[in-house]
Amino acid sequence: MAAKGEKHSPLEQFEIIPFTRTEIGGYDISFTNSSLSMIITVAVITLFLTLTVNPRSLVPTRMQLISELMYNFVAQLLNDTVGDNGKKYFPFVFSLFMFVLIGNMVGMVPYQFTFTSHIIVTFALASIVFIGVTILGFVNHGIKFFTFFYIPGVPFYMHPLLIPIEVISYLSRPISLSVRLFANMLAGHTLLKVFAGFVVAMPFFTGALPLVFIVALTGLEILIAFLQAYVFAILTCLYINDAYHLH
Amino acid sequence: MVDEEKLQKLKERIQTAKATDTPHQKTKKDSGAGFGFKISTEIIAALVVGVGIGLIVDKYLGTKPFGLIIFFIFGALAGFLNVYRVMRRIEKQ
Repeated sequence: MAAKGEKHSPLEQFEIIPFTRTEIGGYDISFTNSSLSMIITVAVITLFLTLTVNPRSLVPTRMQLISELMYNFVAQLLNDTVGDNGKKYFPFVFSLFMFVLIGNMVGMVPYQFTFTSHIIVTFALASIVFIGVTILGFVNHGIKFFTFFYIPGVPFYMHPLLIPIEVISYLSRPISLSVRLFANMLAGHTLLKVFAGFVVAMPFFTGALPLVFIVALTGLEILIAFLQAYVFAILTCLYINDAYHLH
Repeated sequence: MVDEEKLQKLKERIQTAKATDTPHQKTKKDSGAGFGFKISTEIIAALVVGVGIGLIVDKYLGTKPFGLIIFFIFGALAGFLNVYRVMRRIEKQ
């Protein structure tokens, strides 16, 4: 776009650029900048966690402490929300948390693509949680899982009204989970780009003003990146808890 | 021993850090915009599901406007239910 001399759009950063063009069985599985970003994220997580924990010192170094803090953070979260049952879901929740968190953080690096700003990515993650939790509910409770939609202590004539509402509320979980993450990342990155545009567009030295603002916004963005990963993880924990305790 | 000295120094540093540390201040308060956003996604998500079910029901049962109308209302109510649950969760904390 820039090569043609057009104006930069703040949404240009979200464009998917395929590096290869591969198609299997009518499905486009090209390796894109989004895929590259995900691979970088996974590589960063794997390298960071393995390298920092490698010395296994009893008195941790600063880097090892960061890894241990992350581990403790998720372990604590699971323990608080799900209890003892939650321990076996630690790998899942931890991977999810780290993938979203580091994905957001990698996206904060200039010129780096933010894959969490695409709804299809977050929706896929939320769907994994949703489908997994639903299967878990059926495994734990069998057919009784359907009583999840049945609220006890309500007059019987209210049930035809309440059950569809409960079902819709349940089905809306993956949507609200994915939209929250995606919209926060999309809005934040667009805002940064819009203010960056002001720096260039404003006359004389007044451009410094939005520049200062960008610095503050970047800090806020990093906070949001962490907060959204946290929200994603805690909601996953709550849903796992719901699969164990129906009411 | 150098290590002993180091440890002693570290101990002092930890103690001074602990002394100056304010007791668990709550810095992160939910901002108004963030809160509003949380609530609105809950309502919108439920409405999306409601309208989606309504359209599917209409398409396969041929009840053209009624499925959409009924499930839109159900979706709106489910949205309020979601908001109520979020509020209860916040209040618990």
